[in-house]
Amino acid sequence: MKPIGVYIHFPWCLKKCPYCDFVSFAKDRADIDHAGYAEAVLAELALRRGELAGRPLRSVFFGGGTPSLWSPSELGRVLTAVLEAAGGGEGAEITVECNPTSLDEDRARALRDHGVNRLSVGVQGLDPARLKFLGRLHDPDGGLASVEAALRSGMPRVSADLIYGVAIGAEAPSPIESAAEVDRVAATGVTHVSAYSLTIEPGTQFGELARKGRLPIAPDDAVAEAFFAIEEKLQARGLVHYEISNYARSGDEAQHNLGYWRGTDYLGLGCAAYGTIGDAAGHAVRYRNVPDPARYAKAARDGDLAALVESEEPLDPETRLRERIMLGLRLRDGFDLEGSARELGISAWTADRRRAADRLIARGDLTLEGGHLRLPPHARVHADGITAALF
Amino acid sequence: MPADPKLIRNFSIIAHIDHGKSTLADRILEFTGALSDREKQAQFLDKMDIERERGITIKAQTVRLEYKAKDGVVYRLHLIDTPGHVDFNYEVSRSLSACEGALLVVDASQGVEAQTVANVFLALDNNLEIIPVLNKIDLPSADVDRTKQEIEDVIGLDCDGAIAASAKSGVGIEEILEAVVARVPAPKGDPTAPLRALIFDSWYDSYRGAVVMVRVVDGTIRKGQKIQFMATGRDYELVEIGVFSPHATALQELGPGEVGFLAANIKSVVDTKIGDTVTDSVHPSTDALPGYKEVKPMVFAGIFPTDSAQYEDLRDALSKLHMNDAAFVFEPDTSEALGFGFRCGFLGLLHMEIIQERLEREYNLDLITTAPSVVYHCYMHDGTMKVIENPARLPMTNMMLRIEEPIFRMTVHVPSTYVGAVLALCQERRGEQKSIQYASAERVIITYDMPLSEVLFDFHDKLKSVSRGYASMDYELIGYRADDLIRLDMLVNGEALDALSVIVHRDKAFARGRDLAVKLKEIVPRQQYEVAIQASIGSKIIARTTVRAMRKDVTAKCYGGDISRKRKLLEKQKEGKKRMKMVGSVEIPQEAFLAILKID
Repeated sequence: MKPIGVYIHFPWCLKKCPYCDFVSFAKDRADIDHAGYAEAVLAELALRRGELAGRPLRSVFFGGGTPSLWSPSELGRVLTAVLEAAGGGEGAEITVECNPTSLDEDRARALRDHGVNRLSVGVQGLDPARLKFLGRLHDPDGGLASVEAALRSGMPRVSADLIYGVAIGAEAPSPIESAAEVDRVAATGVTHVSAYSLTIEPGTQFGELARKGRLPIAPDDAVAEAFFAIEEKLQARGLVHYEISNYARSGDEAQHNLGYWRGTDYLGLGCAAYGTIGDAAGHAVRYRNVPDPARYAKAARDGDLAALVESEEPLDPETRLRERIMLGLRLRDGFDLEGSARELGISAWTADRRRAADRLIARGDLTLEGGHLRLPPHARVHADGITAALF
Repeated sequence: MPADPKLIRNFSIIAHIDHGKSTLADRILEFTGALSDREKQAQFLDKMDIERERGITIKAQTVRLEYKAKDGVVYRLHLIDTPGHVDFNYEVSRSLSACEGALLVVDASQGVEAQTVANVFLALDNNLEIIPVLNKIDLPSADVDRTKQEIEDVIGLDCDGAIAASAKSGVGIEEILEAVVARVPAPKGDPTAPLRALIFDSWYDSYRGAVVMVRVVDGTIRKGQKIQFMATGRDYELVEIGVFSPHATALQELGPGEVGFLAANIKSVVDTKIGDTVTDSVHPSTDALPGYKEVKPMVFAGIFPTDSAQYEDLRDALSKLHMNDAAFVFEPDTSEALGFGFRCGFLGLLHMEIIQERLEREYNLDLITTAPSVVYHCYMHDGTMKVIENPARLPMTNMMLRIEEPIFRMTVHVPSTYVGAVLALCQERRGEQKSIQYASAERVIITYDMPLSEVLFDFHDKLKSVSRGYASMDYELIGYRADDLIRLDMLVNGEALDALSVIVHRDKAFARGRDLAVKLKEIVPRQQYEVAIQASIGSKIIARTTVRAMRKDVTAKCYGGDISRKRKLLEKQKEGKKRMKMVGSVEIPQEAFLAILKID
C-alpha cells in the first residue's frame, strides 16, 4: 500500500494577514472553541478513517490559520486519534505551523510532549517596516525569539518561513538585504527554511489593492536576483535548495510537502481542508471541506459527509500527470515522467509535449535522463512557463 | 402549377446594417402565416451563427409567401433577401435584378447611410419600384418627416407613399404588403420563349451538391429537364426543383416570374456562377441574360495553422468553404516564418474575417492570418507584368519599372460638421479628391480616389471615429495606378518574418516601420530572453524596439490546497501558447501578424 499524508486545517488566526489566501478567521484565542473544534475533526476522522486503514502514514500536518493557537492538549487529542487510525504511525513526520505570537518555549514543549516532532515558524521577515506592511503582529526580535524558543524546547526539527520581494512605496526591495535576512534566520540553527517571494493572490486585501493599482509591486528583476542571492547564502550554510521555495539540511526535507510534490495521496480534515485520494485505475478525487467553521462543525457532528464537502473535483490520469509535471519540476531532483505515466496507465509523451521538451532541452532549460525530467538551477525561476509548455 | 405572372410579386429589402431588415423579413413571414409560433425566433432568415451575432446577412435567403390581399386575391410573393455589406456588392446586384421592386428600409432615428444609397442606386439601375419604409418609429428619437426629407434630398426619391413602420412591434406590416401588391409590377416574361433563368445565389448542400437559386425570366423549367449554364457551357439533368416557404418544398416546375432552387448533381459552387443564365440544353436561348461578370477577390492574406499537424485539416476546411463560396479562393503557400499554409483571396476585409471565424469555429482550427494585402501589378524591365498577392514575393526593386496598385473610388456620406476631419483623413490616406457635394444642408457626399491598401488599414474604423460614427462609406474599383511603393520587412531577433512584410508608400515607410515595431512590442509577450524587434527597408534598419526579458515566472507556493487553481492557471497559459507561433525561439501571438491593421 502506498503511503498517505494527513492535513488538518485550523481556521483561526489572531489577525488576518493582507496577503494570505488561506481560509482563516480572526479571533481571540479565548473565544475559540478548542474542544468543540477537536470534536468536529474527530467526528470527521471517524467518517474518513477507512482511507487510512492499512496504509503507511508518511506525515501529519497541522496548517491554517494558526494551529499553534490551538490548545496543545486538544490538538494532541486529534493527533492521537489520527495515529491510532493509521495503525500507530511509526516514524511519521508531525508538523505544526506556528506564528511567533502564539509560540514560546512552553508551548513548543507541550506540543512536543503530545507527539509533534516538527514546527514551522512564520517569521516572514526581520525588517520592522516590512513586517508591519505584511500585517504581522510580531516584530523582528519576536520572530527570532520564537525560533530560538522552539529550538531550545528540544523539538527535533524546526523550520522558518520567510517572505521576500516585498516592496514598500516606490522603493524596490534590495536582493542583498533579503539574502541577509534569510541568512540571519538560518544562523539560528534551523535545519529547514522556506523562502517565498510575495505573491499577490486574488481575493485578498493585497489582491484588491493591486487590482486598483494601489499596491507597490516589486520589479521581477529584483525578485529574481533575490531568489539567487538567497540560494547562494543558504547553500553556503549547507541547506540544500530542494524545492523552488524550500531549503533543508539533507534528511530534514518536509516529508509532508514532498508528498504533495510527488503526487501522493493526502487526506484533508477540518474546515476548508483539501484532500486528494487516488484509485487503482489512475483516477483521483480532490475534495474540499466547507470553509465555514459553524457549517463544518454541524456537518461533522451529524456525521453527514455530503454536507461536509463543499466541492469535489474528479481528476483523470491526464490531469494528474499534468499536476505531476507542475509539482515534480519544482523539485531539485525533478521527477520520473515516464514512471508517473506508467503508474497512471497513460502515455507520457504527446507529440506536442515531445516537441516542447525537445525545444526546452535544446535551449538548456530542461534535462531528460531515462524518462526523468528536471530543471537545471538557472531555469527554476521560469518553472511556470516551462511547465505550461509541457502541459 | 406555375402561378399566373400577374399574381406574382418579386421584391427585396434594402437596408443598412442594424436598420431592421431581418426583423422586418421575419414579421412579413409571420404575417403571411409562413412561420409557426415555435419558429418565431428572432431573425429566421439569417441562418448562420456568425450572421446572427454580427447582425448582418452574408448569404441571401429567399422565400415564397402566399398573401391574401384586401382585394380578396391571393398573391404569390417572393421575398429575395440580399447580403448587406459592400464586400458582397455583386451578389446584391444580381439579387436585385431578380426582382421588380424593393422595400427601402431606413431607420427613422438614424437617417440614410451611404451603403443604403449605393444599393438603392443599384436597384434603380435594375428599374425596380422602390417603396420607402421608415422603420423603428417606436423609438423616441425617430423623426419620420426629417428622414423622408433626407431620402428625397439624398436619393431623390418621392416619399409621399412612404410607410411608417416598426418591425419590432409589428406596426405597418400589412400596409407594406398591400403596397408590394399594388405598386411592385408583376413580372413580364414570355412563357413560350426558350428557357432563361437567372442564377442569383448558390450554396453547397451535402446531399444535393451545389444548389442554385434562380429567377425564371422566360419559358418554364421542369424537373428532369436537361439544362445548360450558359457562361460555363455545362449541361446538367435537373433532379430537383423547389422553393422555401420558408421550409424547402419540392415542386414539378417553375414558370415565368417565379423564383426557386434547382439541384442537378452539380459538384461544386465553383460551377454555379452568380449572374449566369440557365437555359434548356436542347432548345437553348441564343441570348444570355445581361449583367454577368466574373467576381475577383480583391484582398489576399495568408492563413497558416498554428500547429503544422493541422495542415491537412485546414486544406479540407478551405475546400469545403470554397465549395460553398466561389468568391473565396485559396492556393498552397509557404512562409519561412510560418511554414506551410495557404494564400487566400477574399472580396474584402469582412469576407476575410468571416472565413477566418468559420474556420476557427466550425472546423475548430487554430490559425494565424497574416496582414491582408491587395494585388500589385509589377511591370518588369523585360516587358512582362507580374501579379503579386503576397508582399514577401515582391521582385527586387532593380528588376521592376514600376508597381501599380488598385485604386478605389470612395463615396463617403457625412454630416457637414465632420467634413473637415473626413477630408483630412482621406488626404492622409493618399486620397485624390474628386468632389464634395451638399446633398442637403447637413449632409455631404465626399468622393475620393484612394489606393485600396489605404482603405484596408482600418480606414473604416478611423472614418467612424473622426465622425463619431455618423459617416458611412461605399467603394468600387476604378483601376490601377503606379506609385512609389517599397517593401517594409520586420525582423524578430534578427530573423526576417516574411509573414509580416508589407508594401507601403516610400513616404510612409519610416512612420509605419516605427509604429509597427512599437505595436509588436506591445503584442509580443515577455519571454525568458530579450526579444529585439526591428523594421527594415532592404538591408537598412529603420526602427527598433525591445521586449525585455521576463526574469521571474514561477509560483512561490504550491501545496495541497493550491494545486487545482495553479494547474488551471497553467492550463490556461498552455491554451494561450497554442495560439502562438514559435519563430526561432520566440513565441509570437496570432494578433502580431495583424498588427499592421491596429497601428494608429
